[in-house]
Amino acid sequence: MSMFGGMEISGSALTAQRLRMNVTAENIANAETTKGADGNPYRRKEVTLQSVGQAGTFGSQLSRAMGSSGVAPGGVQASEITEDQTNGKLVYDPSHPDADEQGYIRMPNVDTVTEMVDLIDAQRAYEANVTAMSAAKQMFAKTLEILR
Amino acid sequence: MERLEVHGWTAPSSLQETPSLVLIDTTQLALERSISGAAQRHEALAANLANASTPGYRRVDVDFHGALAAALGTGDKSAVEHTAFTTQADASVGVTQADGNSIDVDNESAKLAANALEQQAAVSVLKARTAIMRSALGVA
Repeated sequence: MSMFGGMEISGSALTAQRLRMNVTAENIANAETTKGADGNPYRRKEVTLQSVGQAGTFGSQLSRAMGSSGVAPGGVQASEITEDQTNGKLVYDPSHPDADEQGYIRMPNVDTVTEMVDLIDAQRAYEANVTAMSAAKQMFAKTLEILR
Repeated sequence: MERLEVHGWTAPSSLQETPSLVLIDTTQLALERSISGAAQRHEALAANLANASTPGYRRVDVDFHGALAAALGTGDKSAVEHTAFTTQADASVGVTQADGNSIDVDNESAKLAANALEQQAAVSVLKARTAIMRSALGVA
């Protein structure tokens, strides 16, 4: 067990939640993008989170080999960023440059309300992990007081 | 040993025994182990908070109170000194989210805050006891 394990775990969560915030911000920014670099309307992106250190890592294998029956608590990481493959709604606007022969534009599948909820969720999770990190900091500071 | 009597008051038998000279007693060792246990528990609770939105994650916890109480119950100083704590998956909490996650952020935050206070309390007591020892030794 390392002294700064708790802080590293919280730190990994801060990284993951910040990535979620960035991806959500990208989705909101592109809520009206009807033509991306590939010529298709923008598709919303989703971050998939995965816990690390739970099984199969060196640390957990070592602690098991040393006779510890428990699990090694690990942080979190973003395993992949996927595109939502559902189709966005069609809007009738024949004057739009991206409109098809019938005059319809395929809009991005971004729902701003969903994105705002995701953004708040990521923000709250970020704050919770900052609190955990500051608690770890206080604990270490208190432990160092023994030496004084 | 002579019986201790002051104005007709007889000291209880525990005080009548000659105390053996122990620099680091069982309580001091238990305090040290509880600080270590609280640090390990903090890691588990921090991991729970970190994985609050990880699909399928199940919460982990460290029952260092139980392990320490069991060691203290044996009355064996060495058992207390060598108490080991294990981080285990907590099966008592059911799934609370649709993605198979069992983390309640409010609950984890409360546990984390309580654990941090507990660790700080243990450090304070340990420090006070060390101060008494230092004072007795004259190395203030």
